[in-house]
Amino acid sequence: MLILNAVINGLLFGGVLALMAFGMNLMFGVVQIVHLAYGQFIMVGLYLVYLLTVLYHVPLLLSCVLAIIAIALLSVLCYYSVVKPLLKAPPINQLLALAGLWIVLENACLAFFGATYKGVQVVLPVLHVGEIYIAASNLIGFGVGLITLGLLYLFLNKTYTGVAIRAVAQDTEVSGVMGINSRTIYLITFVVGGALAGVTAACFVPVYAVHPHFGSAFTLLAFIIVILGGMGNLIGGFIGAFIIGVVTSIGSTLLNPEIGQIIALLICLLIIILRPQGLLGVRART
Amino acid sequence: MKFMENFKKGTPLLILALLMICPFVFSSPYLLHIFILIFIWSYVTTVWSYMGRFGIISLGHGAFFGIGVYTTALLFNLYNVSPWLGMLAGGLAAATIAVILGYSCFKFGVIGHYFAIATLVLAEIITLVIIALRDTLETGGKLGLTVRSLGTSPLFFQFENKLIFYYLTLALLGLALLIWKKIDDSKVQRALKAVGEDEEAALSLGIDVVKYKTTMFAVSAFMTALGGTAYIQFTMFADPTTCTGVGLSLGIVFKAIIGGMFTLWGPTIGSALIVVLEEYTRLALGSAFVSYSQIIYGLLIIILIRFLPGGLYGTFSDLFRQKRKREVQVLLSGRQAADPYK
Repeated sequence: MLILNAVINGLLFGGVLALMAFGMNLMFGVVQIVHLAYGQFIMVGLYLVYLLTVLYHVPLLLSCVLAIIAIALLSVLCYYSVVKPLLKAPPINQLLALAGLWIVLENACLAFFGATYKGVQVVLPVLHVGEIYIAASNLIGFGVGLITLGLLYLFLNKTYTGVAIRAVAQDTEVSGVMGINSRTIYLITFVVGGALAGVTAACFVPVYAVHPHFGSAFTLLAFIIVILGGMGNLIGGFIGAFIIGVVTSIGSTLLNPEIGQIIALLICLLIIILRPQGLLGVRART
Repeated sequence: MKFMENFKKGTPLLILALLMICPFVFSSPYLLHIFILIFIWSYVTTVWSYMGRFGIISLGHGAFFGIGVYTTALLFNLYNVSPWLGMLAGGLAAATIAVILGYSCFKFGVIGHYFAIATLVLAEIITLVIIALRDTLETGGKLGLTVRSLGTSPLFFQFENKLIFYYLTLALLGLALLIWKKIDDSKVQRALKAVGEDEEAALSLGIDVVKYKTTMFAVSAFMTALGGTAYIQFTMFADPTTCTGVGLSLGIVFKAIIGGMFTLWGPTIGSALIVVLEEYTRLALGSAFVSYSQIIYGLLIIILIRFLPGGLYGTFSDLFRQKRKREVQVLLSGRQAADPYK
């Protein structure tokens, strides 16, 4: 029964993880950049919600929306200041510059908010069906995650901009020949990716209290999921999120939280070595 | 020209001699402390650059450093094993992990940023293992661990006098620079350089890429772990955020990048710069504002990567070299000049 409980909660948590990984995956697929500061964006989002609701008494939902907008703007700033000048640089330089951004954001939050845990007090009931207990906060996260992913699916498949984004992800040069300005698409991708980080932060509000080292764990988690599903493979990432959600949930229920994470990381390491293209990926022909 | 050549050869010896005398000129323990930190980090960064300069970027050296730190400290605290033996044990443990990970990565063609990510994952795993063993092995988890103090005990690598650590860490750094030179003169250097430039072409020339890369990775990991032992014996305190993990790994890479990882002195200069910067901002702003110094540090890294991708020392020595080369070419115009800098 304990395991069933863990599986169900893991699956629900997987919905939020899928959303989080989707943003990182989109940026990798389109801009070919590993966004190492992604978890820090989520952290900044959580801090903004805290700042607005607790200190300025803005209603919770409104402050979530404001935080999403702010993170999207932060993402645009990140694109212009860090990513755009390094588009032609070797991948390792891009990775390290974003790691620099990671340090800046983490310490800016530390300087601004201090090292203690900050959280919005939201009391949500725990539902139970028979002997299975489900936290309502997980259920909300799952719901919001699936709805957002559904909207993204429509955006990527039914609108001109969405199709252009997918075209750039497939082949930047040929899409240029078709009259798509890849720089504009990169910018739009960063706006969407940033907004996704914001939505993820909003889903995390009832679950977590935020602290300055909050982001790094989630950057790595998003990373693992993206690798698991294959970099740039959006459906693979979706499935990977649920696998990781369930594995960490079972691991931490039966043993302890660190063991759950270690197992997830070991799976990730094995995937990198044995199937670098990811579970669903196809090896690129060169 | 002859004088210049002699001067060039003599410079390292001159610097060494100056550093040997240094503690007698400035006897302030604080300055000694800073110098020791600079030596340790320069050593680790130089050792990291053994791989980095050939395009094998590891983001997991924090893990090897942490293995050195915790193996030594735990063997001593729990079983009373001398840290001199613990140093060896830590080095061998790090090298074993490097061989396992390196061999499987290189064998299956995991290169470039995939390799960087694999090592990053390793760094996180080691941190989590240390935290998870907080009770079973008394690693202290996130709260950190203190080494039992014996006062001064040469047999157990404990000295109250900082001067001994000064010379010890200076010797380590000297060793690392010497091995760098040895690598430069060996077949390994040419093989790995070819690999760094074009892996597939090197492979087709019959270079055993996997063997060379794995060896270099193992050597680098072994020596990084030795640095970890020196560090823990000096500070006598370790916790997972400063002694292992992703943050430390990135710190090593940044130091190498800022100094320039392709030159002998680059890593040393980068480390000295970062250690001094951190100390200065800490002193100038007070320890309550330590995060401001980190913000400056992060911004500096972004700016440097954007404008000076060759690193400080690398870029400036390149500029210097080009300028001098042009002068030589003007002087010898019309004649084929032998490259005077070979």
